Amino acid sequence: MDTIPHDAPIMAGSGLTARIRTLPRPDKALLNLLFGAALLALVLGLADGLLTALARAGALTFFPDDAYRLLTVHGVSVFFYWLYLIQAALLLALAAAENSRGLALRPAAWAGAALMLAGFAVSEWISYTGTPLLYDGSPELAVDDPRSVGFFALGYLLLSAGLTASAVSGIATLLQPRRRGEAEEFGAVGFALFAWAGFLIVSAIAATNAFLPGLLWSLGAGPFPADHGTEWHILFHNLHYLPLMATVLVWYVLTRHLTGVTSIHGARLSKIVFAAYLVFVPPTSLYHMFLEPNLSEGVRVVGSLLSLFVSVPTLAAFAIIVSSLEASARAHGATGVFGWIRGLPWGNPAMANMGWAVVNMMVGLTFAFVLIQGELAPMLSDTFFVPGYFHLFAVGVLTQTFLAALMVLLPALNGGHLWRPALLARMPALVTAGLLLFAAAGIAAGTMGVPRRVFDVGYGGMAPAAWPVLMALVGIGASLFAAALSVSVYGVVRTLLSGRKLSAMELPAVDWKAGQNRIGAAPAWTGPASIAALVAAMYVFTIAAFQLIQSLPVAVIGGGHGH
Amino acid sequence: MPDPRHFTTRRGFIAGLGFGAVSLYGAWAAYGAAPLPFGHTPSATPEPEAHGHGGSNGDSHGGHAAAAAPTADDFRLEHETFLRTYAQTDGSVDPHAASHGGARSHGHAHGASQGAPHGGHADEGHDDDGSATEPVTVFLMAQKFAYSPDLLRLKAGQAYRFRMMADDITHGASIQLGAASRIIRLRPNIISEQTITFTKPGEYLVYCTVYCGQAHDAMQGRIIIV
Repeated sequence: MDTIPHDAPIMAGSGLTARIRTLPRPDKALLNLLFGAALLALVLGLADGLLTALARAGALTFFPDDAYRLLTVHGVSVFFYWLYLIQAALLLALAAAENSRGLALRPAAWAGAALMLAGFAVSEWISYTGTPLLYDGSPELAVDDPRSVGFFALGYLLLSAGLTASAVSGIATLLQPRRRGEAEEFGAVGFALFAWAGFLIVSAIAATNAFLPGLLWSLGAGPFPADHGTEWHILFHNLHYLPLMATVLVWYVLTRHLTGVTSIHGARLSKIVFAAYLVFVPPTSLYHMFLEPNLSEGVRVVGSLLSLFVSVPTLAAFAIIVSSLEASARAHGATGVFGWIRGLPWGNPAMANMGWAVVNMMVGLTFAFVLIQGELAPMLSDTFFVPGYFHLFAVGVLTQTFLAALMVLLPALNGGHLWRPALLARMPALVTAGLLLFAAAGIAAGTMGVPRRVFDVGYGGMAPAAWPVLMALVGIGASLFAAALSVSVYGVVRTLLSGRKLSAMELPAVDWKAGQNRIGAAPAWTGPASIAALVAAMYVFTIAAFQLIQSLPVAVIGGGHGH
Repeated sequence: MPDPRHFTTRRGFIAGLGFGAVSLYGAWAAYGAAPLPFGHTPSATPEPEAHGHGGSNGDSHGGHAAAAAPTADDFRLEHETFLRTYAQTDGSVDPHAASHGGARSHGHAHGASQGAPHGGHADEGHDDDGSATEPVTVFLMAQKFAYSPDLLRLKAGQAYRFRMMADDITHGASIQLGAASRIIRLRPNIISEQTITFTKPGEYLVYCTVYCGQAHDAMQGRIIIV
C-alpha cells in the first residue's frame, strides 16, 4: 500500500463554512461586494496582461504609449487592486468567522470598501487615459503632466485609506470575543489575522508616505517628489510579503477545512512563524536596490546576507503544514514515502489550486534566491528575469490560493455551490504548465538581457536573435495560463453571481484529524525532502548564474556605485 | 520520558527547516560573493576608488573620501569636453584617436575641476598601442531617448573608467554581451562609475533597461571593440 486507505471519513462541511453561512446579511453583502470588485480587478489585469504579453511576443502591435498604458493597467489592476481588495475581503471574512458574530465596527468596514472602490475607479481611469506611469507611478515620467501624477497618487491614497479602515474593522472583530470574555487568547489563525491586519495598516502608511507628495505636487502644494524612488522601495517590499503572509494563512485555514488537520506542533509555533514575517520582512528589502548607483558595496553584501532570511517564515509555515498533513495521514494508515499525497482530496478545486500553488512557490523561490545575490543583480535586475519568476508567485501562488479560498467561501456565503468543480479542479495544472513555459522562457530571456519593460526587443537588428524567439514563447505560456486561469475565474464569478441557483453538490474532503497520541511516530520526510530539493535547485541555478556572469567578455570593477 | 515522535515530526526540526534556504550562503561564499568567517571577505566586485560627487542640487553622497565633490554640472562640462576632444568624422567617439578639439585633456579636466584624489587618470591622452595599464576615462550621458556618445570605439584588453550619468530622468545604460548583459541603472544627476575591460572584440549594444517614456524602446547606442 502506498497511499492512505479509502475508509477515511468524508467531511460534509466544517466550522469555517458553517460560520460563514451564519454571518449577518450586511456582512455578507459587504463581502460579496469586495469579492466581486476584486474579481473585476483580476479580470482587467488578466486581460491587459495577456495583451501585454502578446504585444511583447510580436503578435500584436500598439503605439508605444498605448502599449505602456496596457502594462500600467495590468500592474495596477493585479498588483494593487486584485491583491489588496481580495486581502481586505479575506481578512474581514476570516475575522468575522473567527468572531462567529460577524463584523465589529461595521461602518468602518463599509467606509473602507467605499474608499477602496473609489480608489479603484480613479486608478483605472487615469491608467487608461493618462501618461503611462507603470504601477509604481513614478512622477519623473510625467513632470509635464501633474494631472496624471496627481490622480494616480489619489487612487492609491484612497486604496490605502480604505485598507486601513478595513483592517481596523478586522482588528476590532478579532478583539471582540476577548473583550466580551468569550476567549482568553488568540488561536493560531486569529493571531495571524491580527498580525496581518497590523501589517496592512503599516503598509498603508508607507503608501501614503510614497504617494502623498505626488498628489501635493500636482496641486501646487508641495515640491516635486524627487525621492519617490526611495519611498516606493520601502512600500514595495511590504507589498510583496503581505499577500504571501495572507497566502500562508489561507493554506492553514483551507488545510483544516479540506482535511480536518491543524498544526501538530501547537498554536504557539504557528504564532511565532506568523510573527516572524514582521521580523524578517523589513530588514530584507535591500535586494530590490542592488542596482542603485548610490548603494555601497558593503551595503550590498549585507543586503544579500539579510535576504537569505526572507523565506524563513514561508518555509517554516510550509514545513508545519506538510508535516502536520503527513503525520496525520500516517496516523490514519498512510504508507509509502509520498503516497499520502494521493490521499488528499484533489477532486476538490480548492485543494487542486492550493496544491499547485505550493509547486509554483517552490519553483519561484528557486529563482528568487538567484536574484537576491548582489553580485548577480548586474546581470538580472531590470530584465525579464524578474517578471519571469514573479508571475510564478503572483499567479501561481497568490492568485491560485485566493481563488481556492473563494471556491470555499462563496458557496458558503451565498448558499449555492461551486460551478463545475470537476472542470475547475483540472485548471491549476494547466495554469502551472503555462506558467512554467512563461517562466522558463522569461527567465532565459532575462538572463540574456531582455529588458523588463520593452515591447520591441529587436533594437534594429542589434539584439541577439534568440530574444524575439524567447519572448514569443513567453507569449505562448502567458496565453496558456491566462486561458486556464480565465476558466477558474469564470467559475468563481458564476458561483458569486448564481447564488443559490446552482445545484447542490458535495465536494470531496477528508478527515485526517487524529489524536495527539497517534501522531508523529512514523517519519515524515516530505517536508525535509522538498526543502532539500529546493536548496539543491537553488545551488544549481545560483552556480549556473555565477558561471555565466564570470564567462562574459568583460571584467568590471564597481557595481554601479554612485557619487 | 523520551519523545515518542520521530525526529522529522518534532517541533525543533520543523522550525529548523524554515532556515533551509539560508544554506545557499555556501554557494555565495564559494564564489566570493559573501564574507567568509574569520575575517576574510573576498568580493567578486572590488570597491572602486573612492570619489565624492554630488548632484547639481548640491546633494552629497557621503562616505567618500574626496576633498571636493564634482557636481552634475561638472560632469556635463567634462562630458562636453570629452565629446569635443574625441569626436570622429563618422559620428563616433574614440578616446584613442588624435584630438580634434586641441584639448586632449578630459582626464586633466576631470582631475582639475574637482581636485579629487583619483590617483591618476590616463590623462596624457590614451596610449595608441592599447597597452596602458591605467584605465582610460570614458563619459556616457543618458537622456531621453539617446546616449551621448551613441557610438564609442574602444580597444579590447584596455580598462575603461566609465563615468556615467542620467541627464533628465532615470535610465538604463546596459551592455549586451552575447550570452547575457551587464545591467546598469543611472539616476538623474548621480554620477556612476564602473571600470570595464572588454576582453573580446565585437560590436556591443547599449540599451535602456529602465522605462523612460514614449521612445524608450528606441533608446540605444553601440560600443565597438577592436
